Amino acid sequence: MAMAHARIRLIVAAIGFLIVAALAAAPAAAQQPNSVNPTASAVKEQQLLQQNYRIQGLGSIPDVKSYVIEQPMGRTWRLFHEVWLHWFGAIILLGVIAVLLVFYLVRGVIRIEGGRSGRMIPRFNSLERVTHWMTAVSFVILGVTGLNITFGKDLLLPLIGPDAFSRWSIMAKYAHNYSSFPFVLGVVVIFVMWVKEAIFTAVDIRWFIEGGGMFGHKHPAAWKLNGGQKVQFWSAVLGTIGVAGSGLFLLFPFYFTDIYGMQIAQMIHALIAMLFVGLIFAHIYIGSLGIEGGFEGMASGEVDLNWAKQHHSLWLEQELGQGRAAAPPAGATTRPAS
Amino acid sequence: MRAFLLACIATIVIGAVGYFTLDAMQQPSGVAYATDGARIDPSWSWRATAARPCEPRHVWQWFFVDLRRPRGEPDICSVSQ
Repeated sequence: MAMAHARIRLIVAAIGFLIVAALAAAPAAAQQPNSVNPTASAVKEQQLLQQNYRIQGLGSIPDVKSYVIEQPMGRTWRLFHEVWLHWFGAIILLGVIAVLLVFYLVRGVIRIEGGRSGRMIPRFNSLERVTHWMTAVSFVILGVTGLNITFGKDLLLPLIGPDAFSRWSIMAKYAHNYSSFPFVLGVVVIFVMWVKEAIFTAVDIRWFIEGGGMFGHKHPAAWKLNGGQKVQFWSAVLGTIGVAGSGLFLLFPFYFTDIYGMQIAQMIHALIAMLFVGLIFAHIYIGSLGIEGGFEGMASGEVDLNWAKQHHSLWLEQELGQGRAAAPPAGATTRPAS
Repeated sequence: MRAFLLACIATIVIGAVGYFTLDAMQQPSGVAYATDGARIDPSWSWRATAARPCEPRHVWQWFFVDLRRPRGEPDICSVSQ
């Protein structure tokens, strides 16, 4: 009996201890953070935004683009346009300029070996030159006005002030739109004129293996367009398809796609355009400062025979076989083509 | 040089063609980027309403849902935003 009483007392004491412990713990539990997260709704919205590229509701008006309530891609696009594109563009453009500068300092101007022969040979006809320069002029306008969109706010605005920058940017925007027409037309004509010459052959592989004659004194054989010019040609054609295609989405907002598609189009447009400008920097260098006599082909349409022999030997043989080399100009110091 | 000058002229001429083409096909950016249902008619303003007083409606008109417009009353009194 006493044993039973003792057990009952033990159980009562244990229960009493648990009650006291529970009461003592209650205030402490009350001080713990609420299990309901007050920002839960925001978290859910954020999760929703991560899962969907936009939140779209239903509407009763005909304009469906008004149904989009939130589009977080807009923030990503702004980050791209305001930060990433600046870095990308600066690295590409300054990088190309730096490489060209180093190349110029190390290699210098690639001279015509043996000097000028004084005999000229027609290289580009009038249509080719006019088309090239039309494309070039419109590209320069496109490049300057396009770079203004990316870098103008940082570089030009502090120099000329908001009023002048605003006026210039409005003009630049229109010039960008309108000069796209001669540029695209020029590339189309260039494509038609030179596509047969621009198909890669085994000769070009050899040209690339030998570094295109840029290093040392080897002069790999080439037809009218060498391997580097063919790379330039196809890059320009594909680049134009990219910028013109994406540019259409920007010229005609909401005609073909929604805001998400336009943001993607602007990113593609800007990235290709930066690479394109870098490519043209190299093209300008090689065609003017880098190679002696290279500019003449596009300026007068004729090149020196020794220049042609050095850079486009197969083409020269073909042209000479057809009797196209002209007589030396009057008063020229004639040296035989070696 | 002649090829370059011709190229500049061609750029200007084709650019002008681009101008007329875009002028005919593009919408103004204020229209292209706006939402149709929420676009504000710039010719409408409260000040215009105040400048040309509208005839107040009678209670019985509201009661019988009589939305007729008094003769000669300007449109701006009935068409709101």
